[in-house]
Amino acid sequence: MVIAALVVFGALLAAWLLAPAERAQVARTPEQRSPDVAAPITEGLAEAA
Amino acid sequence: MVDTGDTAWVLISTALVMLMTPGLALFYGGLVRRKNVLSTIMHSFFMLALVSVIWVLWGYTLAFGPDAGGLGIIGTLQWAGLEGVTGAPSDVYATTVPHLAFMAFQMMFAIITPALITGAFAERKRFKAFVLFSVGWATLVYAPIAHWVWSPDGWLYSLGVLDFAGGTVVHLSSGVAALVAALMVGRRMGLVEPATEPHDVPMTVLGAGLLWFGWFGFNAGSALGASGIAAVALVTTNTAAAMAALTWVTISWLHRGTPSVVGAAVGAVAGLVAITPAAGYVSPAAAILIGFGVGVVCYSASLLRLRSRVDDALDVFAVHGVGGAFGAVATGVFASVAINEAGRDGLLAGMPGQVAIQLVGVGVVALYSAAMTAVILLAVNGIVRIRVPRDAEEAGLDLAQHGEIAYGA
Repeated sequence: MVIAALVVFGALLAAWLLAPAERAQVARTPEQRSPDVAAPITEGLAEAA
Repeated sequence: MVDTGDTAWVLISTALVMLMTPGLALFYGGLVRRKNVLSTIMHSFFMLALVSVIWVLWGYTLAFGPDAGGLGIIGTLQWAGLEGVTGAPSDVYATTVPHLAFMAFQMMFAIITPALITGAFAERKRFKAFVLFSVGWATLVYAPIAHWVWSPDGWLYSLGVLDFAGGTVVHLSSGVAALVAALMVGRRMGLVEPATEPHDVPMTVLGAGLLWFGWFGFNAGSALGASGIAAVALVTTNTAAAMAALTWVTISWLHRGTPSVVGAAVGAVAGLVAITPAAGYVSPAAAILIGFGVGVVCYSASLLRLRSRVDDALDVFAVHGVGGAFGAVATGVFASVAINEAGRDGLLAGMPGQVAIQLVGVGVVALYSAAMTAVILLAVNGIVRIRVPRDAEEAGLDLAQHGEIAYGA
């Protein structure tokens, strides 16, 4: 039973990994849509320094 | 043997602590801009569901299960899926209540702790990255620290660290993680200096009220029985919250010329944070001093944060990190076995060494949480960018991440 529960939860976890990160149509036009470059993760550290 | 009074109190306290997470959602939700209120609320509400399942499957056994290897670092998987955790009392924890009731009470702590961190990266974190981060943090940071401090086999417990209800396990760990997250994720776009105004102060005050209410379960419930210690913890909790709120309002009144409503709410929460590790070990008079001290210290920390470049959006570090550390050290000062014979004497009862022990606990928990949080954030960022794209941040996370808006035109 525990294994089955883990498998079901694992399936949800996999679904979250595969799910789209956000809605594609946030920006009204392709020109308004910025590339996915907003955050090299160390950018914040550099800013703070 | 199960005691019905103790069991009733622990079950009610579990429900009280559960209510704190929706309360936190409102507290944080009111503080952000209106385009991000749903995403902020969702962080806490989703956490309620996510960590509930994690806790049943592997969280509880890692935190409170029989010790692995005798080192006091982590529990084994013996209780995975709550195998062997039943309606009969545990031999180790809260021996007068069903083991399942103790497990559920602890579950609510495990839920709200990662939810506290979400205030640091509000308004700019991808939901998907938030979910993956939360799974990792609850497993790799919360569960081990809970084992160190609260399991009788835990190495910090063995060292003598006092933490009645989670000053280090809950507040310091999440506060430090929030600082690391804010540093790594970077500042929000379009901030109005010196700070973005809250979009709904009544929502924030309502959230603070629910937190205050639920905290009676958090702290007095940590007595794990309907006892005199529970009454001590309830009174010290209320007293410290009240004193910190009064202190924060007074300082902001003198400093900025007006008695801030948001300041009253944040001050009360700071008081609740600081009394958490001490609640069942100190007197009500000590709670007044702790509430006053944390009001001064956390107000100062929030001012420093405003002057820094770190965008810890909702002051999680200033309130929970600094307040948790202050409370942990204050516990070493004010604790007395005259209040709780299961505790230890602190500095004022002639045992200055307890302050040093508390400082060790603070240092270890802060360092571990900081390092592991950074590792988890880097790992998640390797899977999915943690920060939303610029246009999504401009549009607001409610629309960009959830396809919904909180308020009509």
